[in-house]
Amino acid sequence: MDVNSFMEGLSIAVQPVNIVWIIIGGFLGTIVGMLPGLGPATAVAVLIPMTFGMNPVSAIILMAAIYYGAMYGGSRSSILLNTPGDGSAIAATFDGYPMARKGMAGQALAISAVASFIGGLIAVVGFVFLAEPLATFALEFGPAEYFLLMLLTLSAIVSLSIGKMVKGFLAMTIGLALSTVGIDTQTGVYRFTLGSSHLSEGIDFLIVIIGVYAIGEVLYNLLSIDEQRNEKKKVGKVWFSKEQWRRSKWPILRSGPLGFIIGVLPGAGGSIASMISYTTERQLSKKSSEFGDGAVEGLAAPESANNSASVGAMIPLLTMGIPGSGTTAVMLGALIMLGLRPGPLLFDQQPETAWALINSMFIGNIALVIINILLVGVLVKVLDTPPKVLYPMIVVLAFIGTYTLSYTTFDFFFLLLFGVIGLFMKVLDFPIAPLVLALIVGSDMEQNFRMALSSSNGSFGIFFSSGVSIGLIALTLLSLLYPLIVHWMKRKVQNRPEDQMYRSS
Amino acid sequence: MMKGIKLGVPIFLIVFSGLFLISSLQLPKANMGNPNAPLYFPAGLSILMLLLSFVYLFQELKHVAEENKELRQLFSGRTPKLLVTTLGSGVIYALVFDQIGFLLSTILFLGGLLFFINGWKKWLINCIVAVSFSFLTWYAFSQLLGVSLP
Repeated sequence: MDVNSFMEGLSIAVQPVNIVWIIIGGFLGTIVGMLPGLGPATAVAVLIPMTFGMNPVSAIILMAAIYYGAMYGGSRSSILLNTPGDGSAIAATFDGYPMARKGMAGQALAISAVASFIGGLIAVVGFVFLAEPLATFALEFGPAEYFLLMLLTLSAIVSLSIGKMVKGFLAMTIGLALSTVGIDTQTGVYRFTLGSSHLSEGIDFLIVIIGVYAIGEVLYNLLSIDEQRNEKKKVGKVWFSKEQWRRSKWPILRSGPLGFIIGVLPGAGGSIASMISYTTERQLSKKSSEFGDGAVEGLAAPESANNSASVGAMIPLLTMGIPGSGTTAVMLGALIMLGLRPGPLLFDQQPETAWALINSMFIGNIALVIINILLVGVLVKVLDTPPKVLYPMIVVLAFIGTYTLSYTTFDFFFLLLFGVIGLFMKVLDFPIAPLVLALIVGSDMEQNFRMALSSSNGSFGIFFSSGVSIGLIALTLLSLLYPLIVHWMKRKVQNRPEDQMYRSS
Repeated sequence: MMKGIKLGVPIFLIVFSGLFLISSLQLPKANMGNPNAPLYFPAGLSILMLLLSFVYLFQELKHVAEENKELRQLFSGRTPKLLVTTLGSGVIYALVFDQIGFLLSTILFLGGLLFFINGWKKWLINCIVAVSFSFLTWYAFSQLLGVSLP
């Protein structure tokens, strides 16, 4: 690790203005991430426009703070409302919501914030040591390896949607198809632009993201808007007892590194990390019968794993430019928008930006734990806002966000179109993350594929020419077999809460 | 209706991927390098999409009688009206945004949505939210963040 760059990054991150951004981003991210029916990906998507016009380093720090805030927020609504914002917050409902129902919401929120904090810190330490070596390793990747790495990421993210693989791959192909619209960068040929000059630059993936996530989720929530009730939540004491801490500390410390490692793997991310840590802790616990009924360690462990995975997921994002989940895909889109190209060269060319971001994670985690404990009252008040008032406001934010991307109302029609597509995808149970991910990596994937083939004069042997590429192919095949393995395991172990998770993640 | 959508979507995807394949094959040739280079990826992709759409269609045929609660909700109660109004007012918003300016169009758009979704009875809160939220976002974006809004 380059100590000078690290210190320089730290000095940027602790500048007062950046600390203010971290606090604002963390707070806003938490609020939008915790709104019922809206997940962290939506939070990041609708809040991205805030960062335009700022200097790039502050913008990235703000965006990262929004991301972590949204991840924290996602589990707030798991605990208080039993409605997880995304897959990674599902495990928090297993024991978090039962705790809240027993009048221990405050304690559940506090332990989950502290567990997330510790998990996050463990992961940041891992990040500091792993990011640069991985970036150096990735520097040796050629186009063939990059293509295969993207293929692995896509197949991994599709395979995680157990039981809907066909739909997942369809979503992926639609995303890839959308990415081919516009001028082909290698030959200058116009593709699928339908004669529109507006389409020659391609379809802006941020508009697709805001459309399918924000507008799509609002439209989806309109289906049941008259049935949504606001239950009054009693928070109780916002701190946990010594006994609760004694039960939680080892699960938290064990789940941190576990979540980090899983988070680094492409496609895996927080859903799998939190689920594995939950299952592991239940097996290790002497009080496993209390799991599912408000066991404090059953909340603390997955929260720690989930947050460390969300930090871990930033590693493939920053060092290779490969996002591992819907939310990190949105982050990648935002970074590219800010003119920052994540990849192995980032640490070479803009070390201070990279290290400022990493250091802001330290500070961000500290800020978030404070926000989430001190401001529990305010956050719970936000949840009291009636959805019927909330959703129209989200729609307006989505429109403004779209406008700031291109300053043209033409894109509003795209926004609505992709909102409708998002609605139908949700209703028909299509996973959305593969579409978004494919759209973002699609054009790079194609360019790398073609560069690899032209360097080998059209021979597909190039994809089997190095140890790394053979390893990537093996992992891709393994990820395709993953659902079969899960199916086999499920038949062995039935009727457990995490089975629900497999279905809904 | 439910059956129509359940089977209509895969059929739409089949048609879409078919058209995508045809237009991929008709892409102009490149002047440099391999003339067919721009079409390989989309053509291969559309074949994959076509195959997957057929598999999806067969899967749906097997489950066509199964109940999909959300699909039913889509056509029941006031949902269709809500969806059409939301999307329709979005279109109107897009058309008038540049003409009447951000602040006025947003107050009307947000107010309209609130009155329709939240109901006329809560007119006071609707008005307050529509005006204050529009003003707040206008202030945040155009004054604090330097985004130029019409």
